[in-house]
Amino acid sequence: MKTVSAFAMFWAGTLAMASSVGTVPRSAATQYPAHATNDQVSLGALKLNEQQVRKAFTSNLNRCCIVVELAIFPAKDHPANVSLGDFSLRTVNTENAVHPAGAKVVASSLQHKAGSDRPVTVSPSVGVGYESGTYTDPNTGRRQQAGGVYTSTGVGVGIGSPGTQSGSTEADRTAMEIELSEKGLREGTASAPVAGHLYFPVAKKKNVKYQLEYTMNGKIVVLPLPE
Amino acid sequence: MQRALLVPFTFLAICSFAQQTSSSQDSGIPQPQIKQSTSAEDSATAEDQKVSDRKWHLRLGTISVGAGYSRFSSPFYYPYGYYPFSPFYSSLLWDPYWGYFYPTGYFSYNDGKGEVRLSAPKQAEVYLDNAYAGKAEKLKSIWLKPGAYDLSVSDNDRASYHQRIYVLSGKSLKITAKLEPQNNLQKAEEKP
Repeated sequence: MKTVSAFAMFWAGTLAMASSVGTVPRSAATQYPAHATNDQVSLGALKLNEQQVRKAFTSNLNRCCIVVELAIFPAKDHPANVSLGDFSLRTVNTENAVHPAGAKVVASSLQHKAGSDRPVTVSPSVGVGYESGTYTDPNTGRRQQAGGVYTSTGVGVGIGSPGTQSGSTEADRTAMEIELSEKGLREGTASAPVAGHLYFPVAKKKNVKYQLEYTMNGKIVVLPLPE
Repeated sequence: MQRALLVPFTFLAICSFAQQTSSSQDSGIPQPQIKQSTSAEDSATAEDQKVSDRKWHLRLGTISVGAGYSRFSSPFYYPYGYYPFSPFYSSLLWDPYWGYFYPTGYFSYNDGKGEVRLSAPKQAEVYLDNAYAGKAEKLKSIWLKPGAYDLSVSDNDRASYHQRIYVLSGKSLKITAKLEPQNNLQKAEEKP
């Protein structure tokens, strides 16, 4: 029974994993908070907040990036050629724009940042005790009884070496790269709806509005991204 | 010199502001060594636990409070006074990371591994990268090497649960595998 079950699991797992890169697109571009359409393509986008990023990714992308979930819905007979270079994230009303980074670059960045962290541990301790006993008085040569209360206090401060934090090893970097790659938007020609994440290496600022821009055949589609 | 150390030794609290959870591994839980896989599936429900963006992680370690009694008897006079100042006294006696109670590394994480905390029906079978790992009741906490794994949970009368998980060292993933009864699924399929 176990063998049959394992065999079934193997095929079920294989079939489930085989075709999935990116995420599953919603039913229509309008299901996303930000969406736009032209004659060749419809786009839907969602800028993930920190909590959403934490839930969706094991890698700590909040350290480096703004994450946007994007879905592309090509029009009939107009397959879209998806390339990361066609996307950019722009701060509204400025000239500041940035292209999304690849999984390898982001994973390396996260590994480097994790490695630069240092854990600091503070361990206070207090003690109190009583000690008594006898000793020979050097002046009189007699045995003397003595005793007293003693106390002790201490604080230990430990500073870990860099590289001991999670996500800092080479294996971690590889795992992060796999995750980001598998959840990222796949490049190539898409004749059916596709979705995935874009990672923009931007330092987060409060009260800053962003817009996603997609350049297709010389035309720019702009999606203002709500918070 | 005769010295007797005695002691009601009480550790009051172990507080930690650690950025990652440090729950220890259950004894007897197998640690499957599984090859890394590159196949893909989205795992949007895996929860990343307690992540911080700070570069310095301040952690309050063990607070220890102790009381003791000792007795000495010596033909010689100690010029430096009593016990606390004797050459035999060492602050290590109060160091929570030293001694009988806490061997070295007691508080450290499972080195270089990440934890998967699995919540599933007790009798469900757990597979990692299509390899049988054991019953769910014995795999509540699994420590794995960093990498991507295909986690599957199945039970006889229930639908299987599949999840792509990504494990990083020192991090904890909480996975809740809800297995729907097959009857419910069949009913759902029958509905137009």
